[in-house]
Amino acid sequence: MKEMLDTALSSENTILIQKTLRSGQSIKHSGNVVILGDVNPGAEVVAGGHVVVMGAVRGMVHAGAFGDENATVTAFCLNPIQLRICNYITRIPDGNHPEPTEPETARIINQGIVIENISLQGNRLF
Amino acid sequence: MGEVLVITSGKGGVGKTTATANIGTGLALMGKKIVMVDTDIGLRNLDVVMGLENRIVYDIVDVVQGNCRLKQALIKDKRFENMYLLPAAQTKDKTAVSEEQMKNLSDNLKTEFDYIVIDCPAGIEQGFKNAIAGAEKAVVVTTPEVSAVRDADRIVGLLESSGLREPKLIINRIRPQMVKKGDMMSMEDIIEILAVDLLGVVPDDESVVVSTNRGEPAVMDKASRAGQAFRNISQRITGEEIPLMNLEANSGWLEKIKRWVTKS
Ligand SMILES: Nc1ncnc2c1ncn2[C@@H]1O[C@H](COP(=O)(O)OP(=O)(O)OP(=O)(O)O)[C@@H](O)[C@H]1O
Ligand SMILES: [Mg+2]
Repeated sequence: MKEMLDTALSSENTILIQKTLRSGQSIKHSGNVVILGDVNPGAEVVAGGHVVVMGAVRGMVHAGAFGDENATVTAFCLNPIQLRICNYITRIPDGNHPEPTEPETARIINQGIVIENISLQGNRLF
Repeated sequence: MGEVLVITSGKGGVGKTTATANIGTGLALMGKKIVMVDTDIGLRNLDVVMGLENRIVYDIVDVVQGNCRLKQALIKDKRFENMYLLPAAQTKDKTAVSEEQMKNLSDNLKTEFDYIVIDCPAGIEQGFKNAIAGAEKAVVVTTPEVSAVRDADRIVGLLESSGLREPKLIINRIRPQMVKKGDMMSMEDIIEILAVDLLGVVPDDESVVVSTNRGEPAVMDKASRAGQAFRNISQRITGEEIPLMNLEANSGWLEKIKRWVTKS
């Protein structure tokens, strides 16, 4: 998580959105997008690079929208209606599912979108 | 050649989207090839009510602006071979499409489908004009409330001046007990004012709320009263003569309404 944040934040072309995106709101950006809030159902984020959401993703996120297969989507609660990375699309299965309780990252592995749990455990320096 | 049907009301929240989902699904259950079109750009709901939200890649704005082909935007329903949805865009507004474009779209869809059911937004502005632009028949939805009936009357007038003559009426959310006590407008009162043919009466029914939240229209639920009413409505749309169900009519009116329905 920290690593991801560092890359996203240190990259030149990153924007910071300090609010929750509500239904009908949309962010389009050529680089990375960091959101301090949630992405609600009906809202969308389209980024050329990575997307990091310090909150819940319940809407649509598209990372690497202009062809970057290495783009990732990271969120504290990754529960999108639909998730896109580069040319890949995945959607939540039909039916009711419990929301994830731990941060996760989605990335392309072997021609498919894979969601990995990221551990926040480890050393903390004060 | 298919038939283009717009579901409209004037007033918001009276059940247009519910009616569209149920009529569309009802027609599909009868084996018709149908497409539902959500024209409520910016406030789309039909995809959620149909449980198809997670399948949207392209929408109606992408189609009219040429970002994709029509076929790419049509979402095939997982439950029925012959049922499709063309979703609205959520991050645009009503001005993103024009009446001319809607007319072309309807003409295209007509060559592929038996019925095109259009979910109209509330209001009488651009969204309404777009929704009716390509329609050949109109269904007006109202609830048994003075304000909703007033707006329905306005809509009937606007439809007629746009050449959509003889719209059909659905009275939604009727509560027979309240009507009996005189606390709610009766079908009789409403038809008296609007003077249009009745297509059906749908009871106020909790199963609609449950089915809406599940993404499964009430017509799919055999036990649902509202579902039964919508199945009947779908059959009437195809020209079958289905009498009003018990709760749809209080006896004296049954015969009179039968005549209305058969006349149409
Ligand atoms: N027959 C019914 N019984 C119970 N609830 C109903 C019935 N018909 C509609 N509703 C409920 O009424 C609400 C509004 O319905 P709906 O969204 O279909 O209206 P609408 O006319 O499309 O609204 P809008 O103008 O916002 O597009 C929904 O919560 C729906 O579940
Ligand atoms: Mg609606």
